[in-house]
Amino acid sequence: MLVVHDLTGPAGAPLLFDIDLCVARGETVLVIGPIQSGKSMLMRHIVGLERAERGTVTIDGGCFDAADAHEAELRQLRTRVGVMFEGSALLRRISVLANVELPLLEHGRAGSREARDVARELLVEVGVSVEDHLMPMQLDRASQRRVALARALALRPPLLLLDEPTTGLDAVAAHAFDDTLYALQRRDGFGLLLFSHEVRHAYGPADEIDVLADGRIVARGTRDALLGSDEPVVHQLLHRRGRE
Amino acid sequence: MSLHSDSGALYRVTGTHPRVTAADHGAITRVGGRFVSRGRVAVGSLYWLAWLVASPRSVVSGGVAREMESLGIGALRLVAGASILVGLIGTFQLAYQLQPYGAESMSALAIGWFSTREVGPVVVALLVVTRSASAVAGELAAMGTNGEVDALRAMGLDPVKYLVAPKLAALLVAIPALTILADGFITLGGWIGSTVFLGFNSRVYLDQIRSSLAASDIATGVGKAVLFSLIIGIVAADEGLNVERRVGAIGEAASRAVVYCLLGVLAADTLVNAIFYFIPRLAF
Repeated sequence: MLVVHDLTGPAGAPLLFDIDLCVARGETVLVIGPIQSGKSMLMRHIVGLERAERGTVTIDGGCFDAADAHEAELRQLRTRVGVMFEGSALLRRISVLANVELPLLEHGRAGSREARDVARELLVEVGVSVEDHLMPMQLDRASQRRVALARALALRPPLLLLDEPTTGLDAVAAHAFDDTLYALQRRDGFGLLLFSHEVRHAYGPADEIDVLADGRIVARGTRDALLGSDEPVVHQLLHRRGRE
Repeated sequence: MSLHSDSGALYRVTGTHPRVTAADHGAITRVGGRFVSRGRVAVGSLYWLAWLVASPRSVVSGGVAREMESLGIGALRLVAGASILVGLIGTFQLAYQLQPYGAESMSALAIGWFSTREVGPVVVALLVVTRSASAVAGELAAMGTNGEVDALRAMGLDPVKYLVAPKLAALLVAIPALTILADGFITLGGWIGSTVFLGFNSRVYLDQIRSSLAASDIATGVGKAVLFSLIIGIVAADEGLNVERRVGAIGEAASRAVVYCLLGVLAADTLVNAIFYFIPRLAF
């Protein structure tokens, strides 16, 4: 589904070094690390938003050279992956519904009426109910995250990347978001790659946890395996539960 | 940073190119990079403009209407007021210069001709730059820092299509239309100056305006307005899209957009005038 091989980047001033990563369909992989450890940069490299020094990325069978990818080639590959950025990144000048419709309309997956129906359905699935002309900035932060999730799922991608999806939400809203996300994953079976600094996610249903520190994956395994790790960063991260 | 140090090392080792320092090299690279970046935005936006003409009922067309209201209709009062003042200023200046020759009444001739070919398009372009170039660059820069530009790219969509092409389409309609209106308002200002303040006859003024104006003058002005629209749209969009993610970057991008748009408009106007002067058969 997703294979990242020997990724070092960005070009010129690398922050990430020798990253290898795999996510299978239906699997949940959590990349956890302190703030500024390179998580967002890694996600940007995976979707080709940054040029790497070296490395390859394979998404759903389509492979690109992270150091020399062409935008046209990337555009095609990006339709196979749903991305949710930190802070939602909804387009503020168009309505909530138009945000979700956009990928459907522009990739020719639906006509305008059908796209509207699908968008409404997706919003219901993620637990948001809105008027047709409601703008993103009129929603609270938790609902904006849910709309961003609906938009990421619009093309029914086999792989979903989420960068700090619940940062800045209160505990109740964050847990509710997680419940919705994992329920959708169980239903649709997409691969999930989650980038977070929140230890809570390590105690969720992740199949594999990769600990990122100073641009390198310093430990990898299941939660139980990592809890026994001697690596100081791993220890600091995973034994923080209840104190954050 | 790395480019500077690398270039410096290269010069020290080879000992060649003694007059070009690493800092100069960096500046040349930055200017070159800016032209390449503008070129990319220009090619992309012109491609999507052509697409927009062929697909008028698309997601983007709603954006064009919105931008037209903001960039064009929103500038109407400013252009009207400023153009009347320009007409008044022109009348007073020309009358003053022509007074020693007893030819103050001839000022209308120059007002009509000069406003349509030169002052109208330039005044409108400068007003639109002042009012909208910083807004366009600032808006795109804010969208970049909020992740909206990346979100579009991550969906496999071209940000130029959704964010730049509608603005450029709106400018390509709004600036020529505002230029024609400005020509009218400058003439109105000239009429107010000539009749109310200088005491000339309205009929004489209108006859002189009519005799001094040809359709080719208006066409030249509109042609310049189209050129200025392209410069303003592309430069402001490029500055906005290439913003860095740091405090103050949005304001700097907006300021740079205004400066480069102003310089671009004046340079393009100079070039057009020089071409018409040195190759008169190209002039209408």
